[in-house]
Amino acid sequence: MKRKGLGFYLRIYGKILAQDIKSKMSYRADFIISTIGMIFTNISGFISFWILFRSFPGINGWGYYEMLFLYGFSLVALTPVQCLFDNNWSLRMNVYSGDFIKYCFRPINLFFYYQSEVFDIKGLGQLAFGLGTLIYSWTKIGLGFTPLILLKMIVFLITASLVMVAMQNAAAATCFWIQNSFYILDLVTRFKDYAKYPITIFSPVFRFIFTFLMPIAFIAYYPSLVVLRPDSVPLLSWLSPLIAVGFFWLSYKFWMHGAMKYNGTGS
Amino acid sequence: MKLKKYLALTRAGIIEALQFRLGSFVIVVGNLLYLIVVYFLWKAIYASAGTDVVNGMTFSDTLIYLALATALFNFMEMYAVWEIGRAIQSGKIVLDLLKPMKYRTYLFWSYSGSFVTNFFMTFLPTFIVVAAVTHGAVHLGLNLLWFVVSVVMAIIINYSIDFIVGTVCLYTESIWGINIMKQVIVLLLSGATIPLAFFPEGFRRAVECLPFQSIYNAPLSILLDAHPEPKKLTMTLGIQLLWCVVMTVISKLFWKVSLRRITVNGG
Amino acid sequence: MSAIIEIRNVTKEFRVLNRREGLRGSIKDLFSRDYKTVRAVDNISMSIQQGEIVGYLGPNGAGKSTTIKMMTGVLEPTSGEILIGGNVPYTNRTRNAQEIGVVFGQRSQLWWALPLIESFRLLKDIYMIGDKQYDSMLELYRSLVDIEPLLHKPVRQMSLGQRTLSDILAAFLHDPKIVFLDEPTIGLDVSMKAKIRTLISALNKEKNTTVILTTHDMGDVDALCQRIVIIDKGKMLYDNDIEHLKGFFGSYRTLKLRIDGDMKASAESIQKELPEFSVSADDEWISVLVDEEKAKVIDVLGKLQSSYRIKDMQLEEISTEEVIKKIYEEGVA
Repeated sequence: MKRKGLGFYLRIYGKILAQDIKSKMSYRADFIISTIGMIFTNISGFISFWILFRSFPGINGWGYYEMLFLYGFSLVALTPVQCLFDNNWSLRMNVYSGDFIKYCFRPINLFFYYQSEVFDIKGLGQLAFGLGTLIYSWTKIGLGFTPLILLKMIVFLITASLVMVAMQNAAAATCFWIQNSFYILDLVTRFKDYAKYPITIFSPVFRFIFTFLMPIAFIAYYPSLVVLRPDSVPLLSWLSPLIAVGFFWLSYKFWMHGAMKYNGTGS
Repeated sequence: MKLKKYLALTRAGIIEALQFRLGSFVIVVGNLLYLIVVYFLWKAIYASAGTDVVNGMTFSDTLIYLALATALFNFMEMYAVWEIGRAIQSGKIVLDLLKPMKYRTYLFWSYSGSFVTNFFMTFLPTFIVVAAVTHGAVHLGLNLLWFVVSVVMAIIINYSIDFIVGTVCLYTESIWGINIMKQVIVLLLSGATIPLAFFPEGFRRAVECLPFQSIYNAPLSILLDAHPEPKKLTMTLGIQLLWCVVMTVISKLFWKVSLRRITVNGG
Repeated sequence: MSAIIEIRNVTKEFRVLNRREGLRGSIKDLFSRDYKTVRAVDNISMSIQQGEIVGYLGPNGAGKSTTIKMMTGVLEPTSGEILIGGNVPYTNRTRNAQEIGVVFGQRSQLWWALPLIESFRLLKDIYMIGDKQYDSMLELYRSLVDIEPLLHKPVRQMSLGQRTLSDILAAFLHDPKIVFLDEPTIGLDVSMKAKIRTLISALNKEKNTTVILTTHDMGDVDALCQRIVIIDKGKMLYDNDIEHLKGFFGSYRTLKLRIDGDMKASAESIQKELPEFSVSADDEWISVLVDEEKAKVIDVLGKLQSSYRIKDMQLEEISTEEVIKKIYEEGVA
């Protein structure tokens, strides 16, 4: 049998994606309303941010535009989890109803096949919002623009994305063991709302917790330091790509383990 | 006896809620985490403000306000929009309409079980912890009574808003989009995430004319005000009562009109 | 020739949670949970050759689905060995999946929002089906069923029958060695059932595909299966030709009579006269299940003719359904 390499999977993904977008267009009203909902979420987040910080020159040594940069960075980093891994939200329902079994009969990677089914196009609105915020604060801070910075930016945005994806995978996969995993997924999704604050505002104990036990600080703070404060980048920032890859791999293993252990109760 | 059949629904709700022990545990952890983030965030904000009182609220005022707002949120949030939306999409609504109870009433009392559990599992512990930690910053007097009255009205207003938004699902398939818009608007404009006192003047005036502030801002400001002027108290409760009546009437009428449309069209 | 499916002494156990009842029970559940072990499949062995159509039968909860999940690599057996075309399905799930097709219950595996032809194209890529094979398969489908109206219809707009048909076509598309069909005709009307049976039978002949069929519909069994396997409570009760099975009960014939006068009352008095056979009556017929080892049908008829006026009579072989009911109830003698 022919080996199924990266090229194979990319081609399949492309085709499924194209089909999915085509079929989404047949639910136009839903698409428009969901997109408006997404824009509402972002605007409201932005207003909250503005209300909180407008009257202060800086917080804990972080200027207004630096905070804004973190905010934009976290929005962009959260796009992949929103767009590509949204089917994790349905996992619980699929497992509960027994429908999950239907994903197990294909000769391709189960995790890939499951996630490929849904591409959440409205996440792109968030991407646009995040990029706008990021570029605006970028110019206000005057970070400069060189190919190296751009490269760093891309690498560390991917890093941050992987961490969030990994957390969501792990949270979603808990439904293979426990009944009401919705709360866990919901909790982890709330993590992303905390990612936009600099970790230095916390006391040392919580700094430790948010770095090593619940790696919220890796969603925006550590990766963004590489671009934002290039003079004093902590070791953890440089290590974060490795940590992210490792963490993603672990979450994937956990997800697959759960899926294989899942014994399709009923039917 | 009429009350008995309502209480049967309450009891079933309690049993259901308890079966998800993990759900309750995760909610508690989630709230704790949120409060920790809120604590450090506002500490940093107050530190950079350089004064003890910002916008008429001290640090501990703000903290108590936000902690109890979260507790109230967990207590009042019933995901009714989802419930109604799913019932409509699956066609289960037809069965619910056949029950010897008005759907609006039926749904409310089905949730009353989770009100009871959530009150004891999340609100009461949070309240006790907050009251203990802040050493009497929460005045324990007549304001508690007014607070309870105010919360009951808040629940009714919140439910009516949910029901109105849920009714919209009769017209569109997009539950997600509809629900997220509602959630974002209610949380921001009710003062659940940031106390209204921090809003810029003009914005706050506008928000005070909307029903949302009656859900979180009204009960919490009553609770935190140890010695309220009778005029102000009457005013707050009066406005709440007004919104209670208005929203209930609107939600009932909207449901009635929409349902007629559906039954005529055989939706 | 070695068997395409080889199952040896397979057992599967599950741990299930005991939920307590009532309010007090759910409070107790908060603090402790107890589990019990359920043996869903108990020491099953069988061997199936390429091209066979095997009816896999048993009442609900007998362990049919569990066995199929093990054969498709979704579940790992607790003990025993399964080989599908020489592969262990559980350890080589994706490799195994290339060799099998599955239509599982009423859960469509097609992309809900896509027209059927787009689903086929995606499957072509996923299973790496060559252009030539794909085209000839579609050609074959066209010759067997009228698929043109289905090809451009999104799956979600199809009727249950159309969806089942599409799912079966999709399962055969990559020319698998084995196809598992779980209740393929459930909920369908008579003509759609017939259509689907003809299709399965034709695909089996054309492609020499092994078909494992679970069903509660004896019409499916009679129309398709040469061999049946029966399990109940996880244990294998029977594995042999369908004719052989009928041979067990071959000495049984149903004698149907129409008699002047009150049928119910006559049936009761006949039962008294023939205590060794079971007698039943409906509006049209009185049925006597005669065991020919005990008495000849002609003798029974003679005996009855002397005391009743028989207007009409029929003699029937025992039906598959009755045979299987007898096996569930009494086991194989």
